[in-house]
Amino acid sequence: MTEMFSNLALGFGVVFTWQNLLLCFIGCMVGTLVGVLPGVGPIATIAMLMPLTFKFEPVGALIMLAGIYYGAQYGGSTTAILVNIPGEATSVVTVLDGHQMAKQGRAGAALGIAAIGSFFAGSVATLFIAALALPLTKLALFFGPTEYFSLMLMGLVFALVLASGSILRAVVMILLGVLLSTVGTDGETGHDRMTFGITSLSDGFDFAVLAMGLFGIAEVMRNLDNVETRDVVKGSIGNLLPTAAEMKASFAPILRGTFLGSILGILPGNGAVLGPFASYSVEKRMAKDPSRFGKGAIEGVAGPEAANNAGAQTSFIPLLTLGIPPNAVMALMVGAMTIHGIIPGPTVMTKNPKLFWGMIASMWIGNLMLLIINLPLVGMWVRLLKVPYRLMFPAILMFCCIGIYSVNNQYQDVLAIALFGLVGYGFIKFGFEPAPLLLGFVLGKLMEEKLRQALTLSRGDLSVFVTHPISLVLLLIAAALLTMALSSGMAKKREEVFTE
Amino acid sequence: MSSPEASSTRTPSGPIRGPQSFYAGLVLLAFTLFVFWASKDLPGGTMKSMGPGMMPRILATGLGLCALALIIAGLRSVGAQLERWSIRGPVFVLAGVILFAFTIRSVGLALAGPLAMIVSGFASPETKTKEIVIFSLVMTAACVGLFWYALKLPIPILRIPGLFNI
Repeated sequence: MTEMFSNLALGFGVVFTWQNLLLCFIGCMVGTLVGVLPGVGPIATIAMLMPLTFKFEPVGALIMLAGIYYGAQYGGSTTAILVNIPGEATSVVTVLDGHQMAKQGRAGAALGIAAIGSFFAGSVATLFIAALALPLTKLALFFGPTEYFSLMLMGLVFALVLASGSILRAVVMILLGVLLSTVGTDGETGHDRMTFGITSLSDGFDFAVLAMGLFGIAEVMRNLDNVETRDVVKGSIGNLLPTAAEMKASFAPILRGTFLGSILGILPGNGAVLGPFASYSVEKRMAKDPSRFGKGAIEGVAGPEAANNAGAQTSFIPLLTLGIPPNAVMALMVGAMTIHGIIPGPTVMTKNPKLFWGMIASMWIGNLMLLIINLPLVGMWVRLLKVPYRLMFPAILMFCCIGIYSVNNQYQDVLAIALFGLVGYGFIKFGFEPAPLLLGFVLGKLMEEKLRQALTLSRGDLSVFVTHPISLVLLLIAAALLTMALSSGMAKKREEVFTE
Repeated sequence: MSSPEASSTRTPSGPIRGPQSFYAGLVLLAFTLFVFWASKDLPGGTMKSMGPGMMPRILATGLGLCALALIIAGLRSVGAQLERWSIRGPVFVLAGVILFAFTIRSVGLALAGPLAMIVSGFASPETKTKEIVIFSLVMTAACVGLFWYALKLPIPILRIPGLFNI
């Protein structure tokens, strides 16, 4: 316990430099901005800004990128409440009651409780990460290649189960992602794999190119196909501070939401997206009068918003302690860390304690900044929502072009994002969601490496994966999940939340 | 944008009941065969020491199975229709990006930026020419300020032979 606090103190010491505080602030502001704007997600934004962080110190760069991610969760709820469109995927649930509250002239209270709930959840999640980091890192020491492989397999199964839409299609995306990761020089034998003699492919596909093409360019094309109507709440937003009665009603939901979100966020395979749904259905079930939900119940905003922010933060845990990204955003963070020469995994904490604890401490500071910045600035965000998409998308495209060009100063990279953009548009048109592909791509290289190591150690005996107890447990969990999902129990339950 | 009738499920005529799954499966199957062809010269190795070719082929096998499953699903059960591919959006978006790629080094950001933004702007039917021209110039100026002045990225800003080379 005392160790944890001394570590956090170290972290705060790292954050409290002008440069890092500024980067944290920029990250939070940019995050809020992209969170507010529907059609611009944190994945594309982090991909766009990653090249710009090359010059910064690794700590500062990661603090800023992390800020974009959890800042986007704050911003997403603003749009959900005021415009009836989820600014981010995780604020889907907030739309249900948040927008109703806004229509009743209680937009201010909804925004206020969302911010307070998020701040509370963010603070608890920061402590949660700090507390779990040490034991999990120690656990990781027991992990050999066999266990790592099984863990990553389990992560991919989670990603499958939680992916929106058909499981078969998510499998396809993951397989494609892993397959793309095999292109390039084989790490063990030095063979050129499927490069067709193209020298720039011998290092494999560039992660930033892939991410920006599939999420930046393809998203623009997708959005241009779906003309959206934004009905921004007119009239006054009302008092931003919830009344005492509203605070009292929200207290328990925030606690429960924080708990659910923190736990689900740790799960590999984007468990964080489940948090808001789980919290909403729990609140609805526990309410004395469930019929209020969907008609502007403050509990339906407080709980899910807390869960959403807690989950966003605890999803850093698998990345920081085990080096395994649980979702596409964390996959980008792996990319960012690798660029700065940091190999994500249990060694980060021991080799780079300043980076590790600095990043964790920055999350709390960031949450505080978001609370203070966002509420007074709500008017500015509303005005931003009035910027039409016809102006936004050319700007997004130019940012993508400049961003990707500045990585290697190669115009070929710009051409490649156009190509992957087209591929991504094709995926969308055929009903495939590209997010699992990115996860498969990042985990792919590592999985192949661990699989080969494990099999070399076992002299080619595949049974190691079930004779090592930790590996067996992980595989059993994966198998159980898959069976459950295939018997369609979970897929249906997830839809119920929407239709209820 | 696809019309409501095109995306909804209607009674199929012919053997293909779920065109979206069916054609997705066909494309994937073709891609699978391509991967097998591309990795044909890579040694597979043994379980004890896997060669570079084993992983791609295992993955391609899995992909092929999924492709077959999609094709079968498309034949057996009624599913989504193919979505209409719009032409205008992708063409102008990609044209803008490609133009940027080919002009950034020869003329620099100050010209390549507005060019890319204006061309891609035509991807949306709502775009107004005067508005996008002004907006693109303002955004480019902001980007020059951010990327070149503040972040000092080595990106070509303005290149006119004999006049500028920044």
